Amino acid sequence: MRVSNALRGRHIVLTGVTGFLGKVFAALILQEVEDVRCVTLVVRGKGRKVTARRRVEQMLERSPGFRTLREAHGDGFVDFVSARLQVVEGDVERPRFGLGMDVLEGLRGADVDALIHCAGLTDFSPDPARALRANVMGAKHAADLARFLGAPLMHISTCFVAGNISGTIEEALTAGVSPSGDSFSVTEEIHLLDRICQEGEAAHDRTVRIERGTERAQALGWPNLYCYTKALAEHLLAARNDVDVTIVRPAIVECARSYPFQGWNEGLNTAGPLAWLISTAFRRLPTRTSHAFDVVPVDDVARGMILVLCAMLRGDRPGVVQLASSDVNAFTFDRAVELTGLGFRRWVRKGGGTPQDRVLRLLDPVPVSLNGEGESVVPGLRRLLSRVTGHVDDDAWKNRLVDWDGQLERIEHMLELYRPFLYDNRYTFQTDTVRALSAELEDDEQTFAWGVPKINWRNYWVDVEYPGLATWCFPIIRGEDVPLDAPMSPRLQLSSVPHSASMAGK
Amino acid sequence: MVPRSASFASAWLGANSQNMSDRLTRLGSLAITAPLQAAGFVDATMANRLTWMPVRGMSEDRLFILGEEYWATWIEDSLLDVGRRLIKRARTEGRRVVLVSDHLRCLIEPLEAVVGADELLANTMSFRDGRATGRLEEPVMARFGGRALEAYADKHGIDLSRSVAYGSTRADATLLAGVGEACVVNPSVGLSRVADELGWPVLEET
Repeated sequence: MRVSNALRGRHIVLTGVTGFLGKVFAALILQEVEDVRCVTLVVRGKGRKVTARRRVEQMLERSPGFRTLREAHGDGFVDFVSARLQVVEGDVERPRFGLGMDVLEGLRGADVDALIHCAGLTDFSPDPARALRANVMGAKHAADLARFLGAPLMHISTCFVAGNISGTIEEALTAGVSPSGDSFSVTEEIHLLDRICQEGEAAHDRTVRIERGTERAQALGWPNLYCYTKALAEHLLAARNDVDVTIVRPAIVECARSYPFQGWNEGLNTAGPLAWLISTAFRRLPTRTSHAFDVVPVDDVARGMILVLCAMLRGDRPGVVQLASSDVNAFTFDRAVELTGLGFRRWVRKGGGTPQDRVLRLLDPVPVSLNGEGESVVPGLRRLLSRVTGHVDDDAWKNRLVDWDGQLERIEHMLELYRPFLYDNRYTFQTDTVRALSAELEDDEQTFAWGVPKINWRNYWVDVEYPGLATWCFPIIRGEDVPLDAPMSPRLQLSSVPHSASMAGK
Repeated sequence: MVPRSASFASAWLGANSQNMSDRLTRLGSLAITAPLQAAGFVDATMANRLTWMPVRGMSEDRLFILGEEYWATWIEDSLLDVGRRLIKRARTEGRRVVLVSDHLRCLIEPLEAVVGADELLANTMSFRDGRATGRLEEPVMARFGGRALEAYADKHGIDLSRSVAYGSTRADATLLAGVGEACVVNPSVGLSRVADELGWPVLEET
């Protein structure tokens, strides 16, 4: 299989390009498959002032995700992307993404080869009303659009739709059966979640909606609303016989190994808050040491998606594809915790961090078990703090103790949110499909091979992941801005050639 | 060449274990065995084994990453000038330069490249399931010489009678005795005595 041949002259529609994975996927395709015919980006506008087109222009101009592509093309960058990118203003939460008939017909006339639906909410605990619209209905709308366009659909899901079970997770989906083993109707489930969001207090109170939605998710065996809504989308798509659907399930998407450049990350991903937490004075992370922390660098996920796309374009129907590391190159939690401490230590030694960090770096984080009541050390600390607060008269000290309690409460909440992945469930995700596709590669193996089985986790975690998180993720946690690349001069403006006309026919 | 002893390195590693309890245990076991070594109750090979035994249980990850820090903190800027000069001279003379150290390889790995040596012979810790077993792999680089030296010379086609060796501790005496030209540099009391007896030249430099 040659990726460049498979994608030459193809037209791909992509949602979610403003997200972390979407950016890397789009940039990598444009960088490595220069003669791809067109990538149509479906993007929402931001309010009334920022159109979808302007959002994409800003992203291309200033996002580090496109830095390597910008540098490769220099002054010709604008012409290069203008010739290959088309932006349509659309919203995945609306039927057929809210695209007008003229745009839809334009796309249909431009022979779309595949629709890649990468958009979605990745927050573990989102507002269920929003998650229902984005993660579940978004998938339905993507399938409807794919059917209209006569193109196969790649839906980006997550390995963690597996829910609260332990063991080997196959690349398969048993439609209508939840992780708890109960049969359910996905349509009824959608109605139920919708009702939960609209009844009583929940209609006005986001917290109540999240609580009730989470209760429902957990009743069926999913740990949180993210996994639940992503799973509902999969079950919904499994029932579609009118469109070719391939479900791609990445595990935990983390810092880039090499593309766009080593260490790049965007937003708050799974490992970021954990690495940040055990780089603070909190050093005892509840984990099962032998469980796999199923991390995959974002550029490897993008390469995996490209391999799957090639398979889809030649007529394969891969069904469900998992992009994970636990089956052939497991990175265990004991290593993750220790390497995070060592990464922190090295980062501080090389000039990062605060004076306080210089002391903390000498105290390594350790993985610990939960106590007999299934609690981490945090609830005990909070009880102790509460008792001490009751005996303190000084207002300044009282305020300080209350502040500490607030911080511990946030840690407790975070540990509870992560607990199913850190402690309760032991997953081994099979990745046979992507490895088989990678083995088929011919001369572009260097660029597109599935490299996860050969990752040296020590080097990756200490040289790539930790510095990447410290640069791109920790500032967000601290409420600071993450640096963007310098604006271009003159301002980047995509040419307004009507792509639907220019790109019809192959 | 390397200014700090293997015992110092082992203690530093112990003090940087992941858990506090491991730190105390490792430093404690080193403290217990130190008098045995100092009093000469054990031979150099056993002493070297005892020095590195407390590392047992440390992860390979930790040893390699701490090794890099140890090199940067304690060795890189403190390499003895006399060692650099002697190596430079040997290279000018077109000699093959082999460094022998009783440190763990992971602590001094960059040495070979930094000083421009052809090979570094150092102790290698054995690992099982990613954890140090505490046992050094053979040959232990404590008293390198004798048959091990001859085997090495045979393997690499080296004429020992035309070779030069430099050493600074009593344990180096076996190596020095095996070559045509021996020289002691900043010797320990024990090696100084041997050098006097055998008429080896002594260099006292920094």
